[in-house]
Amino acid sequence: MRLYEFEGKELFRKFKIPLSDSRLARHPHEVVSAVEQLGGPVVLKSQVLIGGRGKAGGIKLADTPAQAEKIAADLLKLTIKGYPVEMLLIEPKLDIKREFYIGVTIDRANYKLVVIASGEGGVDIEEVAAKHPEKIFKRSLSVEQPFYGFEALEMAKQIGMPSELLRPAADIIVNLYRMFKAYDAKLVEINPLVLTGDGKLIAADARVSLDDDAVFRHADLKSMGIEKRHEEGEMTEREQVAQAQGIPYLDLDGDIGMFPGGAGFGIMGNDFIQYYGGKPANFMDSGGGPTPERIAQMLVLLDENPNVKAIFGARFGGISRCDDFAKGVVMFLKNHGLSKPIVMRMTGNMWEEGVRIFEEAKKENPALFKHVEFHGIETEIEEISKRAVELAKEASK
Amino acid sequence: MAILVDKHSKVMVQGMTGGAGKFHAERMLAYGTQIVGGTSPGKGGATVAGKPVFDTVGECVKQTGADVSVIFLPAAAVKEAAIEAIRAGIKFLVVIPEHIPIHDMLYVREEAVRAKATVIGGNTAGVITPGEANLGIMPDIAFQPGRVGTVSRSGSITYYVADTLTRTGYGQTTCVGLGGDPVLGSTFDEILWKFEEDPKTKAVVMCGEIGGVYEERATMIIPKMKKPVLVMIGGVFAPPGKRMGHAGAIVEGTMGTAKEKLEQLAKSGAHACRTFRDIPETLKKLGV
Repeated sequence: MRLYEFEGKELFRKFKIPLSDSRLARHPHEVVSAVEQLGGPVVLKSQVLIGGRGKAGGIKLADTPAQAEKIAADLLKLTIKGYPVEMLLIEPKLDIKREFYIGVTIDRANYKLVVIASGEGGVDIEEVAAKHPEKIFKRSLSVEQPFYGFEALEMAKQIGMPSELLRPAADIIVNLYRMFKAYDAKLVEINPLVLTGDGKLIAADARVSLDDDAVFRHADLKSMGIEKRHEEGEMTEREQVAQAQGIPYLDLDGDIGMFPGGAGFGIMGNDFIQYYGGKPANFMDSGGGPTPERIAQMLVLLDENPNVKAIFGARFGGISRCDDFAKGVVMFLKNHGLSKPIVMRMTGNMWEEGVRIFEEAKKENPALFKHVEFHGIETEIEEISKRAVELAKEASK
Repeated sequence: MAILVDKHSKVMVQGMTGGAGKFHAERMLAYGTQIVGGTSPGKGGATVAGKPVFDTVGECVKQTGADVSVIFLPAAAVKEAAIEAIRAGIKFLVVIPEHIPIHDMLYVREEAVRAKATVIGGNTAGVITPGEANLGIMPDIAFQPGRVGTVSRSGSITYYVADTLTRTGYGQTTCVGLGGDPVLGSTFDEILWKFEEDPKTKAVVMCGEIGGVYEERATMIIPKMKKPVLVMIGGVFAPPGKRMGHAGAIVEGTMGTAKEKLEQLAKSGAHACRTFRDIPETLKKLGV
């Protein structure tokens, strides 16, 4: 999960990484007092959970409080890549002499932590890495290994840090690494680390991404207002509804409602539909042992989607049980009713019981099953995919 | 023969008195897996499914001769449990829970490499050698002893591939679920090599997906293998940049797209399959 710049900087502060004085503002009038307190020209930085805000016009300079107030009003109306700007960080404008880059991340393929430094900061570091790999210095180390000050000093030297700043620069690198470990980070970046006209080093930006799965052991984050958050971006209404119900769901632009089981086959099932000439209306992970109620909720999501012409359903019972699946489908049919044709396949754990539940419900009320085509292990999943494509085409006629 | 686990493996369950641990210990036992005992700190002396429960892995190993462990514990407890098991001499570990902190898995991996132990998972459906042993939560119905190995990031895909191999008479030697977490105990290349060394395995089906970094590692080992590797990658049609389920499935730049993975794997000599049905057809063409 990504942190806002101001949150990342709060963590920097705890690890003695040098920062400018700053103020957070949610309203233009707060900006006025912030500029008065900071004095002189300032930079107004939109706080959003996505990179590239500079290019998107989310960072502006202002010389006076009045000018800052006007600019702030405009910035607070901005939406950057789907993220509305709700907060601004106000900082004194820096007298920039040089910019450096320092970062720590995880090389998952090789199971290493990597400290990265470059004398080229303030730019798109991926681009520098691609075009001028010789300008990027890396140090890989295992999670168990200490990272020593002298190693950081070597890196500071490699990136061309002036000699009187080698020690402070090395301290910054070591402290950033300590912070990375202390907070179970996935990525921490200072870009740029600014060398100012008066010879100081300042972390002008903070990009911090923490591991959602480790947030539980950092109680202090909560007291800072940082809690496990979903990276929302531009969510459709249905995606928001699904998220509120805890269902992993994405809207796509096709017409076949996808109800395919676990995440792996959730992805592959969408490929199959397209391979056979159809287009999925959504992605959904309906695995992990959902309750019958959850199954019913998922079907409602698909049935109420006006773009959906037909529904593809599959269940390979592993940790998920076919009897629960069947109960959920029946619950949905009884309580909500189905307005689109559905073709589905069910096999795996408890499939005999699942079949029994279906047959009983059908005997009780055959009308409920009018649009339901139900298959077991005898039918290949490819046939189910093809049939869903056919049903959607028929329904579009 | 099989890789990682067979009917001679002495299997213990860490977290055996918990709901999932107990349920699946019984299921695994019913399949014929040689479950010899388990652990649950503070509950040493109890029995589950007729098997003894110990406070520590060390005691369990000493008393039962366990050499494999399946972990059914909360994610937060996995790091310590895995390191405890490795230090007690366990050489193969299956980590079922999901959402294990990334830094924790890095520690587990260090410990495993040092001890020459193999860890698979987290967030795996497990490992099954059909007819011999089932470790984890995979449904028995899909599997049948045979001559093709499978390795996959996803449980649901494992079931479909096995089902296809079963219905076409190929069957499976061992099916390995690598897991869906962002940092995994084992990688595709490592498992492929174990299949290469297994005399009974005649071909391997590898299923990857969009996102993550481990499919790319396989491209270094496939050219060195004598056995054919068939490969499927999920998410070829997926819109880039959108989140698809588990954390491992986030597109990371150009590395991590399904198309890129598939192209690289094909270039390294793997046989690309687009549907499950392509798998038996390709095997037939290759004379397996």
